[in-house]
Amino acid sequence: MPKVIFRLFSTFVVFVGVFILIQQYLKPDSFGKYGHYRANAINDAKLIPLQYKGEKECITCHQDIYDLKYSDLHDAVSCESCHIPKILATDACKTNPPKVEGSNEFCGQCHAINAGRLKKGPPQLDFKDHYEKQNCIDCHNSHAPWELKK
Amino acid sequence: MGTEKIKENRRKFFKSSVALLGGTLLYSLLKPFELIAQNKEGAVKEDKANDTLWGMGVDIETCIGCGKCAEACKVENNVPKEPFYFRTWVEQYTVKNNGKVKIESPNGGIGGLKQSVPDKDIFKSFMVPKLCNHCTNAPCVQACPVGATFISPDGVVLVDATYCIGCSYCIQACPYGARFMNPVTKVADKCTFCYHRITKGLKPACVEVCPTNARIFGNLRDRKSNLVKFLQKKQTEVLKPHLNTHPKVFYNGLSSEVK
Amino acid sequence: MEEHFQHLYQALSHVDGYIYPNEIDLHWGLMIVLYPYITGLVAGAFILASLERVFNVKVLKPTYGLALLTALAFLLVATLPLVSHLQHPLRSYEIFMTPNPTSAMAIFGFVYLWYLMVVLLLEIWFDYRLDFVIWSKKSTGFKKYFYKIITLGINDTDEKSAKLDDKLGYFITVLGIPSAFLLHGYVGFIFGSIKANPWWSSVLMPVIFLFSAMVSGIALVMVIYMVVSWVRKVKIEMPVLDTIARYLLYILIIDFTLESLDQVHRIYEAEESFDIIKVLVGGKLNITLIYMQVLLGTIIPLFTIGFFQVYKPSEKIRKTCYFLVGIMVLIGIFFMRWNVVIGGQLFSKSLSGFTSFNAVYSGLEGYFMAAVWLILPLLILAFLLWLMPPWKKVSFQG
Repeated sequence: MPKVIFRLFSTFVVFVGVFILIQQYLKPDSFGKYGHYRANAINDAKLIPLQYKGEKECITCHQDIYDLKYSDLHDAVSCESCHIPKILATDACKTNPPKVEGSNEFCGQCHAINAGRLKKGPPQLDFKDHYEKQNCIDCHNSHAPWELKK
Repeated sequence: MGTEKIKENRRKFFKSSVALLGGTLLYSLLKPFELIAQNKEGAVKEDKANDTLWGMGVDIETCIGCGKCAEACKVENNVPKEPFYFRTWVEQYTVKNNGKVKIESPNGGIGGLKQSVPDKDIFKSFMVPKLCNHCTNAPCVQACPVGATFISPDGVVLVDATYCIGCSYCIQACPYGARFMNPVTKVADKCTFCYHRITKGLKPACVEVCPTNARIFGNLRDRKSNLVKFLQKKQTEVLKPHLNTHPKVFYNGLSSEVK
Repeated sequence: MEEHFQHLYQALSHVDGYIYPNEIDLHWGLMIVLYPYITGLVAGAFILASLERVFNVKVLKPTYGLALLTALAFLLVATLPLVSHLQHPLRSYEIFMTPNPTSAMAIFGFVYLWYLMVVLLLEIWFDYRLDFVIWSKKSTGFKKYFYKIITLGINDTDEKSAKLDDKLGYFITVLGIPSAFLLHGYVGFIFGSIKANPWWSSVLMPVIFLFSAMVSGIALVMVIYMVVSWVRKVKIEMPVLDTIARYLLYILIIDFTLESLDQVHRIYEAEESFDIIKVLVGGKLNITLIYMQVLLGTIIPLFTIGFFQVYKPSEKIRKTCYFLVGIMVLIGIFFMRWNVVIGGQLFSKSLSGFTSFNAVYSGLEGYFMAAVWLILPLLILAFLLWLMPPWKKVSFQG
């Protein structure tokens, strides 16, 4: 074999060898365990802190409100649909409950009239005809909407 | 030390280096076969152990476009509040009497969708929640150059935020516009079915807050799950079936206008 | 980041129709326009050099070394716009550590390496080895050391070794032609394989990219040959220019035919996506596609060079025209890349609306950076021409 080819070929082999060596070294540990990805990334995805705790968590303190809600038409609506969790710890939730404004606009997110909403769904209102100047919760109990306040 | 000794040492050094290099080469050549051998046994075991395949049903007939899901998703997953980043959003379709279709999704539907077409012009109107379809043949996973996005063993398409290089190729490859570049982490971001919730037995945040149960989440391999019942009872359809992505998000009441 | 949001709010106010909310931002900007452009220049320049060698076109001898060095200079820069566009540039090594076998982009890394290390560097090395040996004896300082190291210790200057170099170089060139085709066909495949995007997803995409690459590469070598001759104050050889221009004409015809075929196919099939593509071509891409790419970059050069095949005006006029045509073709192909990359992102995958392109001047994805990536290869080329001038080679007969 001519010297040129030998020298170039060995340079090539050394290059590929070093490349593979580096590859072995820099490949993440769990890579390729289940597929072409870092298997540990599955666990990483589980580690995000919870914001929405679910109704079960709310019931531990607010069983009464839950029962009230369950007795009326908002039974299927989860607590956190309206009470967006701004506080992480449940303890803080006791002292500083996440308030809901109960304005026409807020309730209108579900109840404003819209041709895209099915008639059999939640009642739809044109707020111009329905006590425009007042907030919904001035008359309605938000947990039991058909329980009207005086 | 004589020259002979140095030469000998050198020879030893070369020998060991070559052996090391050759060993690594051989190892890397054999490694794929080893994996194949393992896979055969592993696959059988896994099939028995893995009885979860997450999916979602979306009932267009009951969605009222309140946008609670899109809002909850942003809070739960710490998605930037600006209106350019959504893991899930709701679109309102309005077919007018003249046949034209108007599609709207201001701020992804957060704050409730409002009809902008006067009633007299409307032929029909409906809401369509959108999210990552968690395709079985995911084009994004196929396209990712480094393996930073993948389908987990339980069928969820996830992004490895510590490994993604931010090339945006997956975003280009997604036919549903379900991916975005997170401006804070600077990696591709998308719906994970709230993987941190579902693996703890909770529902995804969007399903949790939906007031009309328009989203049905569950295990496609569990014959008793609500999702399987939903799929059995309703005529469901997937988005862009012609692209052969085989989504795991199924729509009931999907109209031909939906894209 | 505030600035980025501001841009996006601006784009939001310019949205036309309906787009998916995540689509407002164009994820691939100017850098990804440059990437296929520069890679195309490389492939084109190399193919021109190979034509001379494999088909033994003696007239083109003065451009052979020039074309190879041009290819090398641009190839060294080709990946930089890609890396600078990454959100995590420091993680770019992962493409080589854990390449995803199903990803077009990952395999491109290896195609690129193969082309750079095995094809281009080797061919240049075989071509220059003898000269390196000779030059290393004559020069001093940095040049001397560089020549000494680069010969890899093979200092034979006899005829036998020169013949072997030539033989091996020929072998590499033959190997190099499919490699160059692969390199740029592959870039086309990166776009053509995206089934989600109807503007990109086309079987013809790799072929179109390949031929447009050849067009741009040939035009570049033509322009550089003229500029270098001016700088060196040597006479520009008209047969060289005429021959390159003729090749340019042939390839331009093929390129134009292919692209027209692609469009005719789209128009005739008129698939679901056709309605929006029609609006895209007539509206947002009107100037860059119809005027810049087709008229300036294709029709005018075609007719100019075509006309010269029947009637040859004076050398001076031809020289000026060739120079202008070269520049026009280079601009035209740049806008071809623009129309593919930017055009493909302007319309929504919901096929019902458009977003808009936001011009940025500063930053890693701005116009200034783009200018840097276009000027840098020219500086590298100047350096290479200083280091290893093809006109000072022993075998040079120009």
